[in-house]
Amino acid sequence: MLEKSLFLLCFSSALAKQLCAPDASDGYKVRLSIRTALGDQAYAWNEDELFLFRATLAFAMRNRISGQQFEVSNIIVCDETPRVSFWFVVTSPSNTSHLVDKEEVEEAIRKSRNRINSAFLLTDKTLEFLGIPPTLAAPVSPDTPPWLIVFGVVMGAVGAGIVVMLAFSVVQKKRKKDGKVVDEAVEEETRAKTTDNGAAGDGVYNMSFSDDERFTEM
Amino acid sequence: MEKDARPSWDSPVEFLLACVSYAIGLGNVWRFPYLCQMHGGGGFLIPYLIMLFLEGLPLFCLELAIGQKMRLGSIGAWTAINPYLGGVGLASVMTSLYLCLYYNIINAWSFWYLFNSFQSVLPWAECPINSNRTGPIEECELATPTQYFFYRETLDISSSIEENGGVQTGQALCLLLAWVISYLFVVRGVKSTGKVVYFTATFPYVVLLIYLIWGFTLHGAINGVKYMFTPKMEQLANPTTWVNAATQIFFSLGLGFGSLIAFSSYNQYNNNFERQAVAVSIINSGTSIFASIVTFSIYGFKATINYESCLERTRILLLNTFDLAEDKITMDTVFEWIERLNATYPQQFAEISSKLETCDLEKELDTAVEGPGLAFIVYSEAIKDMPLPQLWSVLYFSMLLLLGMGSMLGNITAIITPLRDFKVLSSMSIELLNGIVCLFCLLLGLGFTTTSGSYWFTMFNDYGATFSLLFVVLVEVITVSYIYGSKRFEKDVEDMLGHRPNWYWRIMWKFISPLLLITVFVFYIVNYIRGGTPTYQAWNKELGQSVVTEYPVFGQVFIGLLLVSSISCIPLTALYVYCTRTKRGNRRRQLTVSTVSAEGLAP
Repeated sequence: MLEKSLFLLCFSSALAKQLCAPDASDGYKVRLSIRTALGDQAYAWNEDELFLFRATLAFAMRNRISGQQFEVSNIIVCDETPRVSFWFVVTSPSNTSHLVDKEEVEEAIRKSRNRINSAFLLTDKTLEFLGIPPTLAAPVSPDTPPWLIVFGVVMGAVGAGIVVMLAFSVVQKKRKKDGKVVDEAVEEETRAKTTDNGAAGDGVYNMSFSDDERFTEM
Repeated sequence: MEKDARPSWDSPVEFLLACVSYAIGLGNVWRFPYLCQMHGGGGFLIPYLIMLFLEGLPLFCLELAIGQKMRLGSIGAWTAINPYLGGVGLASVMTSLYLCLYYNIINAWSFWYLFNSFQSVLPWAECPINSNRTGPIEECELATPTQYFFYRETLDISSSIEENGGVQTGQALCLLLAWVISYLFVVRGVKSTGKVVYFTATFPYVVLLIYLIWGFTLHGAINGVKYMFTPKMEQLANPTTWVNAATQIFFSLGLGFGSLIAFSSYNQYNNNFERQAVAVSIINSGTSIFASIVTFSIYGFKATINYESCLERTRILLLNTFDLAEDKITMDTVFEWIERLNATYPQQFAEISSKLETCDLEKELDTAVEGPGLAFIVYSEAIKDMPLPQLWSVLYFSMLLLLGMGSMLGNITAIITPLRDFKVLSSMSIELLNGIVCLFCLLLGLGFTTTSGSYWFTMFNDYGATFSLLFVVLVEVITVSYIYGSKRFEKDVEDMLGHRPNWYWRIMWKFISPLLLITVFVFYIVNYIRGGTPTYQAWNKELGQSVVTEYPVFGQVFIGLLLVSSISCIPLTALYVYCTRTKRGNRRRQLTVSTVSAEGLAP
């Protein structure tokens, strides 16, 4: 009896080892970069952590395929390396020699990726399932692009500045005109009293004669 | 009737700051560091400073003297010097017009980047995700996020100059803003420009100083500065170095556009322009050197970051391939591990050798970039890796904006001042004339905001103002020294300053500067002929990088038109004046003949 159970145990573990192998058709390679993610606070990878991994994966499979009771024993791990990478396959709870399809496993992992990551305090980049690309977060696109808002503010300020400046110069011109009218009235009175030559000194400098001087080199 | 006196600067300081603001532009930031890198680092300063004294200073002083003496814009001033050579002024205005059309696009890009800096994650820091949400967009993966942001999200560039698209709304809005602000700065002519230059001339220095101090605290900045200042003296034997130094001084000071003549035409008659010319030229060169120190510290930082991430990627690759524990390989031991693994597992190593990158700090520092690529791609790449990148981004692009706006002030003034000297336009209010010019340039400039607009920009940048300016300034200096007469010119200067220009100025104006200009001119022509068909860099979205492409026929025709349209102003105007003079001369002779004969018959 004892020999039979021992033999069955050895046989099942041998079978399990056969089911799980590197480059298995229904298996995935997992790679953890704990030190990169956590630095000084990195935890050591040991059997217990591996147990947690298997349990999390069983949870992910249960989550995806309702009705089937996946257990920790259904997740078979092999080819562990010091890198902290290994291969795993998932066996069906109803038939332990039958592997769950690759696509089903992928869907399950994709669905519960976040939960798996959080269990190990890692991210999509540091807990890699080779062959399953992470679903990236949808980009946040606000209704008004932020640059347009800043543009509106600056444009409004500049536009206001121009309006103010133009209004100012129009007002100044008006004031000058009014001032000129008053001045002219005063000047006319004074001009009537002075001689005709009073305005002789206010001539305009005529450039045309001086220009001629420059090039008539005769 | 009283004629409005010519407006003038409120003080000589305003004139000085206007010249500084005009001369110190984007070229100091994005062309000089590149030249320094290409021509032997610190050693380049020798030809640069020699050219400053042989060519830059004398020509700068010459233009200021002309403007201050004639008190007219470039067209009026050159017509007054010699009516046959009024075309020189016209050529200056044409070149300024071309510059105004395309230069404000750079300001539009600066505005775009500035406005996009107000986000929690800078948009050029990460690649956007593709529609399946499985990874980044392919074009962005092949290139870098900063390149993708510039070529795709900013310009939406087409794959060649022949493919046209619509106007980009973001670009067009930013261009509108740039022109509106330019209008605001020049609306009242010298009165408004004079106030603005206090800010545009000084703020860039504040930012450069902040960046200098900050730059030196950045990790790896010292590598860049050390690299720049190690002189490679053998470059001095290369004639291209000297020609490049001469052209850089020439274009950096903004000679030949007519802006300096326009600015100094608003001076008081006895203003000491000689001292101001020396001051501005030295400030300009000093700023170039200052800016290149900042640029190289940023280069050093960026190169170090790139080098270290390359090392990190290699480390991860090795760890993953050989399944070693994470802390076995550190960044310092990557290279020795490569050798060790190559020796122990040659077969496996051969499999990954295609993915293995060669990480070389020298190579990273060697990548020399100039022009908009430096300002908008390389710098923004460095900024995104800094802590608190939004602050640095805002500071940097505001500085670029002020540098560009300051130069625009000079260029717009170069167009408006000669226009206002014409009787027809002087009766128009200055606000209206400025508005019309700005609106005209804005409407034409919208062509540069289309999907192929950036290629037209490159064309204008390379050919619109380079060759014609050399020709214009050459004619200028020969006219003043030989046709107008150097004795007469020296007398004019004595009239204004109170003393004759000393032997340095005399020798430079008469012999050295014209000789240098002719050499550079000949070199340009030879290079142009030897270069074959002109080419440009087209962005290929499948490869995710720029590809050298030849200009199509219509492009080459347009380049020819650009060059001919400004240069031909000089001979055509001379011809026109000659024809009208002979006509006028004939008519005058006819009148005198008829009067004499009439007198003969009188009793």
